[in-house]
Amino acid sequence: MNKNNSKMLTADEASKIVASSVIRRRKKNARLKTYGRIAIGLAVSFLIFLFVSIFSKGIPGFFQYYVTLDVYLDRDRLDPKGDLSPESLYNGDARSIVLESLYKVIKPKGRKEKKAAKKIISSNADVRISKMVLDDPNILGKIIPITFAVDDDIDSFLRGYIKRETPSSERRINDKVIKFVDKLSAENKISYKFSDYILTGSASRSPEIAGIKGAFIGSMLTLAVCFIIAFPLGVATAVYLEEFAPKNKITEIIEVNINNLAAVPSVVFGILGLAIFIGIFGMPRSIPLLGGMVLALMTLPTIIISSRAAIRAVPPSIKDAAYGIGASKLQTIFHHVLPLAMPGMLTGTIIGMAQALGETAPLLMIGMVAFIVDIPGGVTDPGTVLPVQIFMWADFAERMFIQKTSSAIIVLLVFLILMNAAAVILRKRLERRW
Amino acid sequence: MVSNSNINNVKTKTIGEIFSKDPKIICRNVDVFYGEKQAIKDVSIDIASREIISFIGPSGCGKSTFLRCLNRMNDTIDTCKVKGSISLDKEDIYDEKIDVVTLRAKIGMVFQKPNPFPKSIYENVAYGPKIHGLSSSKEELDFIVENSLKDSGLWEEVKDRLQSPGTGLSGGQQQRLCIARAIAVSPEIILMDEPCSALDPIATAKIEELINQLGKNYSIVIVTHSMQQAARISQRTAYFHLGELIEVGETKKIFTMPEDKQTEAYISGRIG
Repeated sequence: MNKNNSKMLTADEASKIVASSVIRRRKKNARLKTYGRIAIGLAVSFLIFLFVSIFSKGIPGFFQYYVTLDVYLDRDRLDPKGDLSPESLYNGDARSIVLESLYKVIKPKGRKEKKAAKKIISSNADVRISKMVLDDPNILGKIIPITFAVDDDIDSFLRGYIKRETPSSERRINDKVIKFVDKLSAENKISYKFSDYILTGSASRSPEIAGIKGAFIGSMLTLAVCFIIAFPLGVATAVYLEEFAPKNKITEIIEVNINNLAAVPSVVFGILGLAIFIGIFGMPRSIPLLGGMVLALMTLPTIIISSRAAIRAVPPSIKDAAYGIGASKLQTIFHHVLPLAMPGMLTGTIIGMAQALGETAPLLMIGMVAFIVDIPGGVTDPGTVLPVQIFMWADFAERMFIQKTSSAIIVLLVFLILMNAAAVILRKRLERRW
Repeated sequence: MVSNSNINNVKTKTIGEIFSKDPKIICRNVDVFYGEKQAIKDVSIDIASREIISFIGPSGCGKSTFLRCLNRMNDTIDTCKVKGSISLDKEDIYDEKIDVVTLRAKIGMVFQKPNPFPKSIYENVAYGPKIHGLSSSKEELDFIVENSLKDSGLWEEVKDRLQSPGTGLSGGQQQRLCIARAIAVSPEIILMDEPCSALDPIATAKIEELINQLGKNYSIVIVTHSMQQAARISQRTAYFHLGELIEVGETKKIFTMPEDKQTEAYISGRIG
């Protein structure tokens, strides 16, 4: 509108003004699109970088070097009592048998060379022999080829992380050891294959035999406890708040606080668990039951919020229909509202569980960071979880733990992706149209 | 119990005959409030056995609100307060002793938008009898489902696909499914809140025919925006305006010789 000459524009004038502004608007659109593309490009490149970095480090961690030796399984030395009992076998001198067969190949001369040769094979070799004999006593007294993991330093040397050119004094393995390894390679005794330990072993200070099984089982037990506590409690809370709670100040305060709890740093829940579950109730530390309880506290707000949203999304017409034919409130909720809200509630729960699966900080607080070799057999056995295992491995000095850390991260990521995929599939499956 | 002496002794501004000889529902001086706002003002009316009565009036006049008072569907709204008395078979339905479950089993309801459960056709109809324990065996339940679907004129169309989802039917079929669901619990009264407003003319004609049929066995209260529909199907018509019941009477009389000026204005299309 013209201020001096107040009259409506003609259609011609108006379309000219519009046409000139259209160019500006188009440019704005194009600019916004470009910004969006740049942002997505950056995000994708970060993601690719992350995955390439983890997989390039982690995939080799699933493999390791082995040495194959012809071992004479001497009955007297392996089974000193002669009754084939586990105690007798573990008291046996498997170590000397292993070393003997190694010496046969590399022929060390003198005490110093023998000392160097001892470093080649993992300390786990004797346990392996004892287990083999326990599984099948018929092999006693025979000569059979057995594959042993090499020590982690040898593994790192074979991978090229420990370099031949480095002066002997700065290397973790000396020239004698390298000579023996070369000899073994020359006789084709060394092989590179999928690790026997990474998926089935448990925590160990020797990186070549350390595995994630203990932490994995610990994670599963912890998550199971977390789900069993958090899901029913969360759904019940959501149902109460949505369907029964009177709309007053107290309800409002509860709602605001639940929303705030979702944003509380997880380590705070760990301290809470430490103070209450361990401090007041005297529960033992490091057990998956306790871990699950703490993680349940942490995931509850997420589950409650998503469940409430899912319940609110159930069309009121369905509730009307149920009330209209005389269904009671409980029947309406259990027969109609909950089944329709279930996909949303499960999605929220799985996302909360995925969050719990990746959580480290609160579990450190309650002692799940302990070094535990045994695989937990139940929720009251001490254990640790995958992310804490990753945290611990990342801290160890041995070169091989770097690969193992990345391997454990891959396992954790695969699990998280599987859980999120399950959430998507569940939602698609259960979703109904109305 | 509402005493007999004062039910027909009520002060009302409503024009026409609010009383019936054989009343099923008796409403006296009903006020409804949504918080501070009064939605229904002093409405008194009888609904007779086996009659079809339609509530007409402009949008927001309170006819749906009043309808939902009859089976206490307004209970679900926290701020809604009902005063006055509404009785079914001379028993006050707002009495503390009355359970809404039994009340709603007696007074069925059909909604504006067809709202079948996202379950199979069979499950939709069987749900009411199941929760009220109306059948003791699968055969009895099958019988109820079949009969209800026959009464709602849907049986021939769906008998081969009872297990397919109710939401997969057309709009008109869905609405008839909702009617079948309502009559499956053998109610005495059916409340219908603009049941045809979301339907095309053919589906509407089918529902109207069905309502005429059902009128032989049930009392039907129908809220409608279509005056032609009210004229076609109902025996009595009640005209609401701004929360008040302005005029009640024989449908023929309301549509040909309304006594009240507002009724006349609405019917001739000047309000609304």
